Amino acid sequence: MNLAPLNVALVGVLGLLGIGMYGLLMTRNLIKTVIVLQILVKAAVLALVMAGSAAGQIHLGQSLALTVIVADTIVAVVGLALAIQVRRRCGTLDVQALATLRR
Amino acid sequence: MPSIDLTTILTLLTVGFLWIGAVAVLWAGDGRRQMQNLLAAGFAVAAGLAALGLLPLATGQAVVRIAMGSFFGDFTFVPDGLGVFLAAVATVVGSLAVIFSIDYMHEEAQLGRYYALVLFFIGAMAGLVLAGNLLLLFLFWEMVAFCSYALISFHNDDPKAVAGGIKALVITQLGGLGLLAGVLTAYATLGNYQVEYFLANAHTVPPAALAVIAFGFLIAAAAKSAQVPFHTWLPDAMEAPTPVSALIHAATMVNAGVYLLARFYPAFADVPGWRTAVMTVGVLSALLAAGLALMATDLKRVLAYSTISQLGYMVYAVGVGAIFASQFHLLSHAVFKALLFLGAGAVIHLVGTRDMQQMGGLGRQMPFVRNVFVIGALALAGIPILNGFWSKELILEAGFAGGPFAAYVIMLAVAGLTALYTFRTVWLVFFGPPGADSPSRERNPAAGDAPPAMRVALGTLVLGTFVTWLLAGPFGNLLEIGIKGPAFGHVSSTLRVVEEVLAAPTTLIALIVVSLGLAVWYWRAKLPANATASGAAGFRAWFARDGGFEGLNHAIAGLIQGSSEALRTTQTGQLNWNIVGIAGGLAIVLAILALGA
Repeated sequence: MNLAPLNVALVGVLGLLGIGMYGLLMTRNLIKTVIVLQILVKAAVLALVMAGSAAGQIHLGQSLALTVIVADTIVAVVGLALAIQVRRRCGTLDVQALATLRR
Repeated sequence: MPSIDLTTILTLLTVGFLWIGAVAVLWAGDGRRQMQNLLAAGFAVAAGLAALGLLPLATGQAVVRIAMGSFFGDFTFVPDGLGVFLAAVATVVGSLAVIFSIDYMHEEAQLGRYYALVLFFIGAMAGLVLAGNLLLLFLFWEMVAFCSYALISFHNDDPKAVAGGIKALVITQLGGLGLLAGVLTAYATLGNYQVEYFLANAHTVPPAALAVIAFGFLIAAAAKSAQVPFHTWLPDAMEAPTPVSALIHAATMVNAGVYLLARFYPAFADVPGWRTAVMTVGVLSALLAAGLALMATDLKRVLAYSTISQLGYMVYAVGVGAIFASQFHLLSHAVFKALLFLGAGAVIHLVGTRDMQQMGGLGRQMPFVRNVFVIGALALAGIPILNGFWSKELILEAGFAGGPFAAYVIMLAVAGLTALYTFRTVWLVFFGPPGADSPSRERNPAAGDAPPAMRVALGTLVLGTFVTWLLAGPFGNLLEIGIKGPAFGHVSSTLRVVEEVLAAPTTLIALIVVSLGLAVWYWRAKLPANATASGAAGFRAWFARDGGFEGLNHAIAGLIQGSSEALRTTQTGQLNWNIVGIAGGLAIVLAILALGA
């Protein structure tokens, strides 16, 4: 088995994971939060395809990846819809400002 | 499932009638009250008859077997002697409580919810005692706890009722955790949930694990049977409608704890310290609750405390190893305490208050209720020839022969106290001078004697109070079906029990102590005033604080509330901090997995 592409994919997964985590920790904008969540999920999709290929069950990996993409799209849609509602009702998308609203 | 025979059918019907009845009552709807009364009473009586029919058919074999997959094992029902007996007590006394409710609840709204919960409750209790699978037993245990919560809080617009229900739920759930821990430990060590298998193989369980199971079950039993230190929920549960009190506190739920101890006694008897712990719990409960009953002024609270006290006798008997005496007293107690509760219900229903200081002189107004209440009280005090006398003597005799002498002396003193508070109650309610502002007559000038449905229930129970002790022989034989063990003794005939009780010197001593209690009440005015006053004051101050246990409850509640408030600061509501928490938790789990593997 040729390991080179697998290693490349692994670097990709870790890179996406890192970017997603960093974004999630740092961003204060709800729309951006949805975007970094998408990046995180893309890391998971890539990891699934990679793992399927490594285990010799490429079809399983691909079908799981497809399932994740579908579910993830719904998450993105709902998340963005919520963000729009929050913006309309509270006038801000800043999560720290939103946290202080409860008091 | 094995071939369908009569035993199987009756076992299923005992639980089934009640649960079908619960649905049927709800289906009838609150618009058709007469229909609801009829359905509830009909199904309850049918279940009672099914349970009675099961008595001669008792067997140690599982008659119903429902496969639940490899983890849960088979859900079985085993109608052995002990189980059938308790199912019969629960359903028969339960059906009498339902009949009583027809009159008692005739002005209440939401009758459907009431009857459905009561029927479901009795059904769950019957299922609990017939279950042959530890996990199934736990499920029924929790169902009973839920129903009792819902019934105590039946008047859900009354904050006291809601608080009482929640208290009962929290404390019995705590006990339920003990049961769950025990059940899961049993499964972890034996790999089988069947009660029968557990009893047969308990000696192969490692001692440490067996101790966990034994004490877990003891905690569960103490919480359910309202024993020290978990007894505080029972008096507060008195906010429930009175037939429910009779049900929960005499016939069903509180007996579940004693049942659990008796059922598993053969497995736990050799666990070091277990029998001592059981005895201690029983003795302390009996003594403390008898003192509290002497101080209480609320009629139903007196009965609640006396229930705790009598259950203390049963728990003590189990600790001594006298399973037969304990179960025999359970039978007597279920009958006479249901009688007392329902009698008290009739009084409260007609007078409109529970405060005994406002009663007095009611005897002339309601002679029927007075007569039945006095009979119940005599049985509670242990006056021959009523059923309470025989069973209590058996327990004291067993305690004298098989337990520590100090415990026997305390239980003997409690018998005297029991007589004392019983006569105080009867005097205050029926004979004494009417209370200072005496609202009873003015508030309800038309208050007459008990209506017909109440009379049916009360009359049946009076009959039971007179005759159940005659069943000692058949009852002894019944208990031996299914579970074999020296603990159950070999009581073969009523005559032998009678001889044994009459011949034992302890009977005479107990009777003297009981009459002493009576005498103290009768001549209370002639006692040196100073002695009674100062003695009573100290006594009262201690018991007013409920022996400190109520304070303990508050301390625990305060601790939990305080720590929750302190932990609140970690909930910043900041999304980014939550992410840090999630990522940190993930990192810790991964680290543990990496290091552990």
